[in-house]
Amino acid sequence: MTVGATKYIGQRIARREDPRFLTGRTRYVDDLRLPGLVHAAFARSVHAHADIVAIRTTAAAAHPGVVGILTSEEAVQASTSIRCDSLFPEWKGTEFPILAWPRVRFVGEAVAVVAAADRYDAEDAAELIEIEYRPRPVVIDLETAAEPGGPVIHERWGDNLFIDRRVKQGDVDAAFAQADLVWERTYRTHRHTGFPMEGRACVADYDPATQVLTLHSATQIPHLVRTGLADTLRLPEHNIRVIAPDVGGGFGIKAHLFPEEAAICLLSMRLGRPVKWIEDTREHLTACIHAREHVHRVKIAVKRDGTLLGIKSDILVDAGAYSVWPWTSSMDVGMAAGLMPGPYRVRHYECRARGVATNKCPLGPYRGVARPSAAFTIERAIEDIARTLGLDPVEMRLKNYVPDDGYPYTSITGMVYDSASLQASLKKAADTIGYSQFRRDQEGARRQGRYLGIGFGTFIEQTAHATNEFIKRGVPIVFGYDSASVSVDPSGKVMVDTSCHSHGQGHETTFAQVVAERLGVPITDVRVRFGDTQSAPYGMGTFASRSAVLGGGAAWKAADIVRGTLLKIAGHVLEVSPQDVEIADGVIQVKGTPQRNMTVAALARLAFHRPEKLPPGIMPADLCATQSYDAPPGYGTWTNAVHATTVEVDVETGFVRLLRYVVVEDCGTMINPLIVDGQVHGGVVQGIGGALLEHLVYDETGQLRSQTLMEYLLPSAVDVPKIEVHHLQTPSPFTLGGFKGMGEGGAIGPLPALGNAVTDALAPLGVAIDALPLSPERVRMALEQAQTRR
Amino acid sequence: MRQALPISFTVNGRRFEGFVPPRKLLSDFLKEDVGLTGVRVSCEHGICGACTILLDGKTARACLTLAVQADGADILTVEGLARDGELHPIQQAFWDNHGLQCGYCTPGMLITAYELLGRNLDPSEAEVREAIAGNICRCTGYVHIVTSILSAARAMRAAGVR
Repeated sequence: MTVGATKYIGQRIARREDPRFLTGRTRYVDDLRLPGLVHAAFARSVHAHADIVAIRTTAAAAHPGVVGILTSEEAVQASTSIRCDSLFPEWKGTEFPILAWPRVRFVGEAVAVVAAADRYDAEDAAELIEIEYRPRPVVIDLETAAEPGGPVIHERWGDNLFIDRRVKQGDVDAAFAQADLVWERTYRTHRHTGFPMEGRACVADYDPATQVLTLHSATQIPHLVRTGLADTLRLPEHNIRVIAPDVGGGFGIKAHLFPEEAAICLLSMRLGRPVKWIEDTREHLTACIHAREHVHRVKIAVKRDGTLLGIKSDILVDAGAYSVWPWTSSMDVGMAAGLMPGPYRVRHYECRARGVATNKCPLGPYRGVARPSAAFTIERAIEDIARTLGLDPVEMRLKNYVPDDGYPYTSITGMVYDSASLQASLKKAADTIGYSQFRRDQEGARRQGRYLGIGFGTFIEQTAHATNEFIKRGVPIVFGYDSASVSVDPSGKVMVDTSCHSHGQGHETTFAQVVAERLGVPITDVRVRFGDTQSAPYGMGTFASRSAVLGGGAAWKAADIVRGTLLKIAGHVLEVSPQDVEIADGVIQVKGTPQRNMTVAALARLAFHRPEKLPPGIMPADLCATQSYDAPPGYGTWTNAVHATTVEVDVETGFVRLLRYVVVEDCGTMINPLIVDGQVHGGVVQGIGGALLEHLVYDETGQLRSQTLMEYLLPSAVDVPKIEVHHLQTPSPFTLGGFKGMGEGGAIGPLPALGNAVTDALAPLGVAIDALPLSPERVRMALEQAQTRR
Repeated sequence: MRQALPISFTVNGRRFEGFVPPRKLLSDFLKEDVGLTGVRVSCEHGICGACTILLDGKTARACLTLAVQADGADILTVEGLARDGELHPIQQAFWDNHGLQCGYCTPGMLITAYELLGRNLDPSEAEVREAIAGNICRCTGYVHIVTSILSAARAMRAAGVR
């Protein structure tokens, strides 16, 4: 028996964290009850762009229960604005004050905050804060804002471009000269967001006696928040403790430094007592994080047989008013530019990519980051081109994919795709959904005046990108690793402390699977903790499909070191060489002589309490190891998937009904297939929501029209079919365990798959979907426009 | 309006008596005054269903109910489902079938499923989906939730549980 004799990796193990969630014994931020706790509410901008003339707080301060007020005019003195700057020379940055002063740049931006005995009084008092504004011209439309000549949001810039980058690779002009067809089209994805069920929430608790600030926050990135707070609040970092307790979903939306949490900290420092803020839905929709507002103008050169020759793209991303920390406003721009060619062999590529400032909520990460938009563009274009050339879209993809045996493959934009199985995945998906039979059914239905469609959304997805990728992106913080400690206590039980927070991903189970298998102990002997910067080793947190690879890899490395120590001690005690002992199921024994054994528990007790029996050079502290892991080669490991869906479109109402949704995905070695399935299901339904329902709509004055869940529609159980998931497993040749990341992929496929399916359904009527969401109203508009054209 | 009114009700089989300002929501009262952590509040305007409780045997949105409206009521929250340390079959099925991820919608889902299976112990998949259509989940895509509820129904039928 060697390492891995106790088999946990790959098992469908029910989650070990579930009982507390099932019985209501959870500890989310809102459940914290601290002595002296007061509740906060924010006064927020009602203007999209305005100078603040005055803030008057007399009436609010006189409201019953009010204990303190912090205005932006005061906060700006006591804090440093949030800055997150790209290192690219073309970059123009923003000062993002934790409370807006002296100007507001989007509706909902926080201007002042009041603390009161309860949330009811705090909200009443916040309404009594009078803010006098002098409105300025607003900048709302992305495509107008990208061009010079209009009003400017950040005056020193001279225009509204955070960044304007150009890429040219290969001989693009020669490629286009050979083309039989140049497909030219603009594809648009719309502003929407992740909406985790728990909104943002925090309790700041400053202790004036010790000068220690404790922030309990619903965040995905507790260590980064600690660093960000230290910079913003000008505090020494060792005097800050950040605790992310149970967190009700994240999806990227909680992976930045919230200006509001810094303001709540400042208020707690001023009052010397704990202050709680629980975000409401309107605040969340207006002022947290938005995503996905992209315009991609593409020209694609193709041969008559469907061979892709080259791509030219002009990418616009609406980044909203400010650059959020730690991402920068260049994130979506760079990813869309770099990933546009997707899984296809394209050797000639030209791109201009602009990140544009508007008077809207800042853009930030949301599950998939730029990839849903990039995949929508390339996958819609592939099917449009196939239809134009009279080719089968499945065959056209198979012809242009990097072949399954052609990896590792360096893309035209310099991405190293480590391994993938697009060809096999597409064939399996087409078989599973019954592609050929569907075409026959579709014909029959059309004869009856019913419009059925089938669409594919296929992609290769960068996951767990580490040092080299983030250096290439020019971001100020290189998210190059995550960390874990593994320690054995005197009873032989194992604690894993990881820098990767879990807010639904199941790390208490999956990390235990990895560590139990590497150590050779029962999984019930392993406990996993995270979220408290006081106990977890420094790391980046949970985002960008990285935890299993980087956090899991760090835990793997640390467990191997501890295992080595256990073997050395055991060899010494059992008077054999460490090479001659092995561990399985918590028992250490001499190879070939199983009767000579001892339990890990007995060995651990001995190591801690009878140090004289340890071999020379080994100390009890050696039963704890802390490791960081930067998965090679640092450009990410690449998961792929094919989404296939069938729909029926009601041409009278424009309503899109999903019939089937099939996913074939390949994320390499799976640690826990049950959890992988759950992640895919959830991502897909968020993606379906984005494709069909969810839309953050601004009017021309910069007011957000979708401020409640009556307007911002989330998919419910009756809006979506059962999601069918199938797996292929092509391990990464580079990462520990062959793991690849997979948290985001589910959300990437639905935008292109549904865009293609609805286009396929309505093709006889001349409709081609080039913008989302596919709400009934917009489908009807597309039908009417097509009718006018005909 | 600030004066507290007397209130009493039964929650998870235990009598509770206290005072509440007329405008205080039942969700806040259950969390802050009764001390429950299983009442989760998300949208605060009755759409998402996270705060769903059983009020006199019927599901209700605790975020849209004033505490004073619950005077004299019999309330069941997720804390009342398990008995003597044994998970309710619905809870067990959610555990076995990975019916939860972040856990925030879970209490409302469990209570809604409890109501459904109380009146229909053999629901179809479509009936399960219809029953939970007022409970939003952002993590699971509902697949494993539906599986869990169907599996709980089977287990409860087999065991003759109500």
